[in-house]
Amino acid sequence: MRATRVLFKHTPMIKFLGRRSVPKQIDHTPQVHPASPAESLPESFAQYRQKASQHGPMMRGGSSGGAASSGSSQSYGAVGGSSGRQLGSVQPKEGEVWDRNQLPKRFRRTLYSEAEMEAIESGGASLF
Amino acid sequence: MFKQLATRASTRGALSSGFQSAQALRSTAPSTTLLQQRIWQRRGYATPSEEKDLVIIGGGVAGYVAAIKAGQEGLKVACIEKRGSLGGTCLNVGCIPSKSLLNNSHLYHQIMHDTKNRGIEVNDVKLNLAQMMKAKETSVGGLTKGIEFLFKKNNVEYIKGTGAFADEHTINVNLTEGGETSVRGKNILIATGSEATPFPGLTIDEKKVITSTGAIALTEVPKKMVVIGGGIIGLEMASVWSRLGSEVTVVEFLGQIGGPGMDTDISKNIQKTLGKQGLKFKLNTKVVKGDDSGEGVKLDVEAAKGGKAETLEADVCLVAIGRRPYTAGLGFEKIGLETDNRGRLVIDQEYRTKIPHIRVIGDCTFGPMLAHKAEEEAVAAVEYITKNYGHVNYGAIPSVMYTHPEVAWVGQNEAELKEAGVNYKVGSFPFSANSRAKTNLDSEGLVKFLADAETDRILGVHIVGPNAGEMIAEGTLALEYGASTEDIGRTSHAHPTLAEAFKEAAMATYGKAIHY
Repeated sequence: MRATRVLFKHTPMIKFLGRRSVPKQIDHTPQVHPASPAESLPESFAQYRQKASQHGPMMRGGSSGGAASSGSSQSYGAVGGSSGRQLGSVQPKEGEVWDRNQLPKRFRRTLYSEAEMEAIESGGASLF
Repeated sequence: MFKQLATRASTRGALSSGFQSAQALRSTAPSTTLLQQRIWQRRGYATPSEEKDLVIIGGGVAGYVAAIKAGQEGLKVACIEKRGSLGGTCLNVGCIPSKSLLNNSHLYHQIMHDTKNRGIEVNDVKLNLAQMMKAKETSVGGLTKGIEFLFKKNNVEYIKGTGAFADEHTINVNLTEGGETSVRGKNILIATGSEATPFPGLTIDEKKVITSTGAIALTEVPKKMVVIGGGIIGLEMASVWSRLGSEVTVVEFLGQIGGPGMDTDISKNIQKTLGKQGLKFKLNTKVVKGDDSGEGVKLDVEAAKGGKAETLEADVCLVAIGRRPYTAGLGFEKIGLETDNRGRLVIDQEYRTKIPHIRVIGDCTFGPMLAHKAEEEAVAAVEYITKNYGHVNYGAIPSVMYTHPEVAWVGQNEAELKEAGVNYKVGSFPFSANSRAKTNLDSEGLVKFLADAETDRILGVHIVGPNAGEMIAEGTLALEYGASTEDIGRTSHAHPTLAEAFKEAAMATYGKAIHY
């Protein structure tokens, strides 16, 4: 009886996976999308990553700082390895400015005077 | 020159914290504020807005799900939609309205033809098509408004307008209510969906020559309808109008209906059943010429491999030969995004285009054009942004055709397994041997399992029968978890239910079914 029970004991193929977690090692190197009929990504993917900059030059920094010179596959990981959120704000860092309005006041454009505005609105210098 | 300066100052201010300083400047310099306001009012320049973590172009199933998910993850998110209501094709002119018509036309057809033998006598049954359409619109309206509510709940900014790339981070929007704005995002998600592929030589007017959009909005039942394309959309719409009284002929280029993904046994089974319901099929047939210049539509058709030609005449012609990605007017040329030969935006495994912060999901890129596939991608794409990791199993995405009986499948079909050289085994169970289907007097169809011959792991599940669309969820779960047919067969299923047919088909795969 016991032998029969053991013989017919069913071991499910379904495995309880437990609480899902983000894998520690993820390869972010661009690869072909699983539903794509193509066998490889267009060359432009590599070219863009070599040339473009996002939040500063893409080749910059990181432990694999030499990625740019040591082959495109390494530079892929450095670039795609961080999400937009991790990369942080696109606002300029301290000491960098993108807009005149971010400079100290003395460097900003002077305000328009009423007369200047009127001149622009009326279309000519006849007022002066 | 002054004009240029003022505009640049306002726009650049919008791009950074300079926006705040610009606001501060306004409060201390009323004259400047006045000038800027005047210029904006007169020239309709973009009004500044804060930078977003994520800007989504398209408020369809892919876009709105991504927007809600992103809001839940704490991102600052904006969703641009030009239709005027959220939900895209699926909610407005696709899955949802067609399901309303399928359900109600089935009820009508059943009352007309299938009540006497059930002991119900009904007299004076009339179709009120306008009311049927109104019921459809009520369902659609309620659902689209529901998404707007969810946007508010999850702090999603809903921008009504047409978006186009100004640069890699900026989207210019032509607002629906007039004027322009621009929105800047650290990440951009393209989810612009798809449109019906037109048929060369026929002009779509959505009255006489229609796509699925016109097929859910006809104002009267056509006497004769020809459907070009025997895929899922074509067959669902053919069913609706056939039930309501139209004489429908379906012309299909391939040798089977339901598209290439449907298992051949299942396709033959449903074709037989739909044939009994009154649908006529012309398989292996191509439409060589269409003429819509007269009152009706004339189609010259002939055998796909050359042969007998004939002319079909109809009041209405439904073009249902497939859908193509919709990406027109997005200004891709400005940023150099690429599409493949079928117009799909090229992406990598994390939905990134060649510009890494611009991602694409849904119908406008690879994979089946299904709403639930787009939803999965939406969640995964947002997770790639926020958690660096997302998950979609393209091998376990179900397909459903909502005819009666329904057809549903997940995984691979027999032809695909043969082509891949996989050693497989088959098990099936007919609904005619299922107690619940028998009591419902609705027992057409079968459940079919395909499993690995050696390991018994499920490779595909194919169902034609009542409630197949709901039943396939169990098959999808089994496939996702790598279950064997014995796992299903040894799991208790309530009696009497249609789901017992599912269990028995699994039993028939690794052993024997009890009731057949």
